[in-house]
Parts: sequence; structure tokens; C-alpha cells
Amino acid sequence: MQNAILKVDHVKTYFPVSTSIFAKKQYLKAVNDVSFEVGEHETFGLVGESGCGKSTLGRTIVRIYDPTEGKVFYKGQDIGRLKGDELKKFRKEVQMIFQDPYASLNARMTVGEIIREPMDIHHLYGSKQEREERVSQLLETVGLKPDHIRRYPHEFSGGQRQRISIARTLALDPKFIVCDEPISALDVSIQAQIINLLEKIQDEMNISYLFIAHDLGAVKHISQRIGAMYLGSLVEIGESEELYRNPLHPYTKALLSAIPIPDPQVMRKRAALDLDGEIPSPLNVPTGCAFRTRCPKAMPVCAEVKPELQTVGTSQVACHLYAK
Amino acid sequence: MNEEIKLTADLFEPLSEDEKNHEFIAAQSKTYFQDAWGRFKKNKMALIGLAFLSVMVILAILVPMFSPFEYDGMDLTALNEMPSLTHPMGTDKFGRDIFVRVMYGARISLSIGFSSAFICLVIGVVYGGIAGYVGGKTEMIMMRIVDILYSLPNLLIVILIMLIFGSNVISILIGICITAWIGMARLVRTQVLTLKEQEFALAAYVLGASRSRILFKHLVINCMGPIIVNVTMLVPSAIFTEAFLSFIGIGISAPAASWGTLANEARTLIESNPIQIIWPVLSICLTMLSLNFIGDGVSDAFDPKKK
Ligand SMILES: Nc1ncnc2c1ncn2[C@@H]1O[C@H](COP(=O)(O)OP(=O)(O)O)[C@@H](O)[C@H]1O
Ligand SMILES: [Mg+2]
Repeated sequence: MQNAILKVDHVKTYFPVSTSIFAKKQYLKAVNDVSFEVGEHETFGLVGESGCGKSTLGRTIVRIYDPTEGKVFYKGQDIGRLKGDELKKFRKEVQMIFQDPYASLNARMTVGEIIREPMDIHHLYGSKQEREERVSQLLETVGLKPDHIRRYPHEFSGGQRQRISIARTLALDPKFIVCDEPISALDVSIQAQIINLLEKIQDEMNISYLFIAHDLGAVKHISQRIGAMYLGSLVEIGESEELYRNPLHPYTKALLSAIPIPDPQVMRKRAALDLDGEIPSPLNVPTGCAFRTRCPKAMPVCAEVKPELQTVGTSQVACHLYAK
Repeated sequence: MNEEIKLTADLFEPLSEDEKNHEFIAAQSKTYFQDAWGRFKKNKMALIGLAFLSVMVILAILVPMFSPFEYDGMDLTALNEMPSLTHPMGTDKFGRDIFVRVMYGARISLSIGFSSAFICLVIGVVYGGIAGYVGGKTEMIMMRIVDILYSLPNLLIVILIMLIFGSNVISILIGICITAWIGMARLVRTQVLTLKEQEFALAAYVLGASRSRILFKHLVINCMGPIIVNVTMLVPSAIFTEAFLSFIGIGISAPAASWGTLANEARTLIESNPIQIIWPVLSICLTMLSLNFIGDGVSDAFDPKKK
């Protein structure tokens, strides 16, 4: 990609798990060799069942976790090497919106303090007065009222809290935001409002998103491209429309069939592709293709060779069905 | 998943002005502490305790200032007198006014109680906060040090310190605080350990907040409830330790007087003038009782389950 703002290069993020002090150290492979790029002003959707490592990947990208292997590049710079002022700049430009609107705001701070804090940290604007003005502006941008400034988070609903979160990240004028399931805790009617708001500010402020969701329905509308993640790996990356209309990987097909659709004809055709079985533990990832234990089309080769992402049409897919 | 959801562009419309507010939960804007105070006020016993303690504090400040008698002013013409209008609690074996001495003792006992609680608060919060937040090897070493301190015989240390530094308020404070902060440190560490994984702490980190900002402005603030409850337990236990030390004769020594010292002095006269021991003992008992009621009230007030 020519103007990638973010490049994730063979990233693995493992968590050490201690069973007992004498046992051999075990690793939980939350993210297991993921590569993709996000362009300027692009929204890259990331979907997958819960527990497949989406949040861990998002947190690795904003440098909450350090990758066990591989690198993340932001504007061409390896974020693992950033220090001092460069790190500060990275912290200003790359932000994250969290999934749980009830846990992501400090309950002891007023809305005004919450939104002003990032500006205090980065010493933006000359005076406290100017910061206060900016807070009011931001409240308006995200659709809250100026008199909400003195209230506490517990007085707001989930959707409003998510707006407060958004205002907090916007205070820094970010260029890249990881949205970690920002709408999955909200009512369906409110989900649309938040997506709408995110799109509006994307256009106004020229922001790129990594938009994480556990179902395809929510990301399809906002994303240009989508990656489907299973047990720590990306199994398919494609243009949003293409992935929706013509999914290649059996896992992507199953994810699609989980979206209820009004047409009973199509519904019946897709129902056959429902996912059976439990998702295996990331402590014990199956050999070869991780999805083979639940795949309706598994072949002997799937147990032996881990499929690599390869280009099929306009998409990339990691599946032996498409071996050349 | 039986609902039929399809997201199409025409679903995404800006809200009208009043729709924007329909989700708003109307609630009185109350801070956490106002809320807790509201619950505390409902507890009668805690309020009585608070009233008693306030009166005690005010008397402890004013009585020695305005009384015509000094705490160490002897009057050999009025030994071992019974309570009267001039001496509301009578006089002791040197003719000193017991009321003034008890109020003077209140100054010493209460200030030891409050200042040792304050010292433990500061040390415990900083130490436990750093251990919990930094984690890893640092935490392991810090908490093992705490375990070792905790396993030492408490009273023995206090007595040793008194022997080395002499019997004065400072060495009593050191003696009490040297182990009393441990409970606070452990409590704060446990709280910080769970809070630091929460999304609001991660959000502060991603915003670029420094470690100390995250620790104090985000994590410690959010465990203020248990911290305050712990402080209200520390005060009576410090007062009690001091009274005990002075009673067995290694705390504050005469003519200065804490409640423990007074009880110790009166002990020798328990057969001839039993009333003299009642005053310091009563003061200790009622103060402890009040502090315990306050402690109960505070812990109920900060209990999140009681909303
Ligand atoms: N801090 C952590 N320590 C240990 N294991 C973790 C941690 N965070 C996540 N995990 C594990 O990593 C896996 C992926 O989790 P997560 O990234 O949260 O998935 P998702 O966001 O897709 O639901 C899960 O099995 C989870 O239990
Ligand atoms: Mg998640």
C-alpha cells in the first residue's frame, strides 16, 4: 500500500501463563502472526468471535502491550523504538476507544475533567481558559450539551458515555484511532448514532480507524476493507463489499451467516454454514489450519500445513481450498 | 440472534435535538463523597459517635486553654478531693485538677491517634500503590519486606524503640506506625492491582499520562472508599496502643499525661479513691466506642452494595 499510516508486520503477542512454578512456561497465543496495513483516512474493520485476540491486537497497536515478535510501524516508524518526544507525539496521534463505556471513564472525574485531561497531559493550548473552551466545543461535536461538563459519568447512558470517550480522544486531534468494539455494548438504535458520529469526525478531522467488532454487520457499513480473525490469525482480508458478497474462507462465510438477514431464501442457504463446536483454547492452538476443527470442508492437508494468506481475486485468504 | 438487523446507509441519520437527549438519565448531580455522606447521616449510632468525638476534640482544645488550673499545677492543700464545682472530676494525690489532666490527656491521645493514622495513610498508599502499579519483581520484593515486618513481634519493637529513643510522643508514633501501615499498603496494592487493568486506566495510559498521574489521579482516587474505612480503623487502634503503653509505664510519663498515664497513676489509689481511675478509663472507652461507631458508619457508607 502506498500511503499506509499503519503497518502491522508479523505481530505475535503472547501472554505467559503460570500453571505452577515447576511446570514449563506456557504461552497463550492471543495474537499469532498478523500482518496488515491501514491507509490514510481508511477504516479497516476487524471481525472475529470474542476471545480471538482482537483487543490484544488493538492494544498492541497502541503500545499497551509489546509484541512478543514482529513490529508495528506508525508513519513508517517502529513504535517499539519510540522514546521521549517521539513517543509523546505517538501518544497524541494514536488513540483508542474502548469497548465498555462503563469501565472506560474514571468515575471520580467530571465530564469536563475527563475531556480536559489529555490536553493537560500534552500541554495543549496556552491557558486553562482555552482548554475549557475546547472542552465545550468537543462536547458539541460529539452531540452533548455544554451543561454536561460538571456532571459525573454515572449520570449518563452507555451511548452518551461512548460520546464522552470519543470527545476525550478527539481532544488530542488524533490521526489514528483503534475503536475496540465501541458499539457492541450499546442498544441497536444507539449503535447507528455512534457509527454515524465516528464517520462524521473521520471526514472532518481526517482520521484513520481500526474498527473492531465481533460481527460483520456492524463493520461492513463503516469499513473500506475488512479482516476476519480466528484464534489469533487473520484468515481473510478483502474489500468490504467483496467480502460481504463473496466470502472465501469457510470462517468468513460462517460469520456472515450469523448476521440475520431479511431474505428467507438467502437465510436458508446460509444456515447450513453455521459454526459448530466450541472455539479451541488459544493455549492449545490446533496444528496446521487453526480453524480445521470446526471447518465443514476440512481436508487431511489442513491438519499438517498452516495455510498462508494468498491473493484470490481482490481478496487475500489463508485456506487450502484455494491452493493453486 | 433472531432479530433482523440490517445496517444500511439510510438508517444513519443525525438525531433531532430532542432525540439527542432522550437517552439522558435524569439524576441529581452528586459526587461520590456527597453520596457517602448521605448514607452516613442515616446511621444514628455513627452520628452520635461523631458528635461525641467532636465535643471531645473541642474540649481537649479549649479546657486546658481557659481553665484556671494547669495540668501539672500541684495544690498540696487539696489532695484527693472528690468532684466539686471548682474541680468537676476532683483532684489527684498531688492536688492536680483531674478534669484538666483528662482533657490534656485527650490532646495527647487523640493527636497520637489521628497523626499515626495520617502517617500510615501516606506511607501505606504510596508504598502499596507503587507495589501494585509497578508489579513484577519490584512488587515481589516490596511485599516480602512487608511480610517480614508483619511477622515481627509488634509490641517488642515498640518497647525497643521506646527504650532507644526515650518515652516521648515521637517515639510512640514511630513505634505504632512501624507496623500499622502494613494493612493499608496491602489493601491499596490489592485494589490497584485490579484497577490498573481496567479500561479507564488503560485509556489514561494511551493518552500519555505519566505513571504517577495514573497511580494517584486514577487508581488511588478510585479506592478512596476502602482507604477511608481503613483509616477509621487505624485511629482507635493507635489510641489503644498508646494507652496500653502508658498504662504499663513505658509511654508518656508524668507529669505529662495521656489517658493511659492517668489510669496508671490512679491505679495505686484504686482502693482508697476508686473514682480517680474512672475518668481516664471512661474517656478511653467512650472514645473507642465512638470511633468504632464512626468506623461502622463509614464502612457502610462506602459499601457500593448499599445504594
Ligand atoms: N492481559 C492478559 N493476560 C493474559 N491473557 C489475556 C490477556 N488479555 C487477553 N488475554 C487472553 O487472550 C485471548 C484473546 O483475548 P482478547 O484479545 O481480549 O480477545 P477479543 O478482544 O477478540 O475478545 C483470550 O483468550 C484472553 O483470555
Ligand atoms: Mg475484546
